[in-house]
Amino acid sequence: MKALKLKKGDMYTYLESLKSYGELWGPVSRGDKYVYGKLDNVRDVALEALRTIIPPKKFFVPPRFNMFRYSDNKFTETFEDIKPRVLFGLHPCDIHGIMILDELFLDRFPDPYYKKRREATAIIGLSCTPDDKCMARSTNTHAVEGGFDLAFNELDEDYLVWVGSSLGDDLVRLNIDLFSEDINTGDLQKYLAWRRKRNARYKLNFDLTGMPDIMELSWDSSLWQELADRCLACGSCSMVCPTCNCYNVRDVSDLSLSSGVRERYWDSCMNMEYALVAGGHNFREARAERLKLWYTHKLKAFITEYGKPSCIGCGRCIDTCPVNINVAEVIRSLQGQEVKV
Amino acid sequence: MADNAKPKVGFYSFSGCEGDLLTIIHCEDELLDIFAAVDVRSFRLASSDVHNDEPLDIAFVEGSITTNHHAALIKGIRERSALVVALGACASFGGPQSARLGYDDWEKRFKKIYGDAKLTVARAFESQPIDEFIKVDCYIPGCPIDKHQFFFALTRLIKGMPVEFPSFPVCAECKWNENECLLLKGELCLGPVTAGGCNSRCPNYNLPCVGCWGPTKEANVASEINLLKERNFSETDIVNKLRLFGGAAMVRRFADLLGIEPQGPLKKVRSKKEDKHKPIVTAEVKKVAVPKGTKTKPKTKVNAKTGKKR
Repeated sequence: MKALKLKKGDMYTYLESLKSYGELWGPVSRGDKYVYGKLDNVRDVALEALRTIIPPKKFFVPPRFNMFRYSDNKFTETFEDIKPRVLFGLHPCDIHGIMILDELFLDRFPDPYYKKRREATAIIGLSCTPDDKCMARSTNTHAVEGGFDLAFNELDEDYLVWVGSSLGDDLVRLNIDLFSEDINTGDLQKYLAWRRKRNARYKLNFDLTGMPDIMELSWDSSLWQELADRCLACGSCSMVCPTCNCYNVRDVSDLSLSSGVRERYWDSCMNMEYALVAGGHNFREARAERLKLWYTHKLKAFITEYGKPSCIGCGRCIDTCPVNINVAEVIRSLQGQEVKV
Repeated sequence: MADNAKPKVGFYSFSGCEGDLLTIIHCEDELLDIFAAVDVRSFRLASSDVHNDEPLDIAFVEGSITTNHHAALIKGIRERSALVVALGACASFGGPQSARLGYDDWEKRFKKIYGDAKLTVARAFESQPIDEFIKVDCYIPGCPIDKHQFFFALTRLIKGMPVEFPSFPVCAECKWNENECLLLKGELCLGPVTAGGCNSRCPNYNLPCVGCWGPTKEANVASEINLLKERNFSETDIVNKLRLFGGAAMVRRFADLLGIEPQGPLKKVRSKKEDKHKPIVTAEVKKVAVPKGTKTKPKTKVNAKTGKKR
């Protein structure tokens, strides 16, 4: 990993250069919130954006898309919207989210729809200043050592630019004159000071050591029913979670009746029909069972299998759930801390 | 002659704005395909050549039932149709005109508006959804319906396959569309308890959900009411909003939460247990007769299974 420097004043010029690789996407404002939007005008980029309504998973697994078109006895896969893209402005937690999706969708059973979109996408990270809903330090996802092509770290008048891949190196070369290799010990001091300042800003700090044990011991806790009474089962938590990746498929026939498409769309284990199987049996009909599954997956099952939680501490569930059911509150409750409801 | 091979369908409307049938007639890009797929025997917005005495494979019915004349007509449609589909919020739940279903004050309201007027054409009564009078095989909710859901249901019914609409609420699609949450912004939004399928039509335009798709199978209305009360909405406003489009669905399933002891129609509220997970689509779909050797019958059986992966 190589480090370079870019003057803050040159950022827009560089963003413009990135367009020769492909479409440029980054955070833009929407009302009081932010979304990842296409940066036709690079000055639309919201450098101050902390979290977007939905995470960057939408680029690799769109909320709803057609997998293939079928007719009487054949089918043709459709990869309609895949083109080279640069995603700019992803914070470390979101990059960790993509790394988790990579493990799930590329390793054992590669998903062609994910793979093609992922391979066409360059990822450029951007450092951030946490707010009171961020808990990435607890999940150890507040910094990145990989998973990006370039990563920008704010440093007074400059950005420290980490080159994380050979593609990242190519991206730098799109406008290499803007970058400087003149990095000295003063920069190191500034960087360390910036890290201390950022780390001190985390308000939500949890010790997640041994979380699977705590989850296992909480299996019969009354907490799940208490949360279920409040839970609207709207599934918003899954939609905004960077690592929730379940989906459903259905066949939609054309009016000709002899052809149609297979549609794939985001699902949620909070959905009542999630565990409904042929014959009508539902393995998790009770809302409490489904809530428990959601949190078991984030804080127990994933840790057991991959050695880390599948919560990346982005704070989206904290920001989204209308009835305040979220990772921070569940961890607090399970660890026996007082919870304000 | 070719038309004889196609399923015979009819489109009917009772009390309502005819917005659902209008949605269908406005499908200009797909209209020829609709008429190619089925033999439309009755559709007054499309043709004055209606045949209202023939057996039908599918009857699509919009609007609520408000008179004894309507009641007789809908029973007639049921008798000559293999499948009856409720089209839109009025046919499915009663519509806004049924917002006071369950209160025994219809005559008072009638008098307030019409005075002592005597009705000579028919006997009017409290507006009710069509399933208070006949068995309904499939519900396509919405005000108005979404044309894609109509196409989906139409093709599934013709093929004799179950009509599975999404079980997630409006919130899911609202997130997909990356809308700012109106509920969190302090609006009286019914998104969390309302069935999705509309592509979050209203929130996309910054308008809170009014619940026109009806409650989800699992709607946690108690939590929604608490949440809105915490945000300082009055109980009256909350109940009125829930009942405006929720009509019979709200009264049947959540009368206790809404503080109603159903009177008049719907007096016999189904037991909660029975209705707990009553699917919006209850289609016991019968195979619509499609004669052999016609193009409408798919040669290979299309796999209807929806898979789920983790």
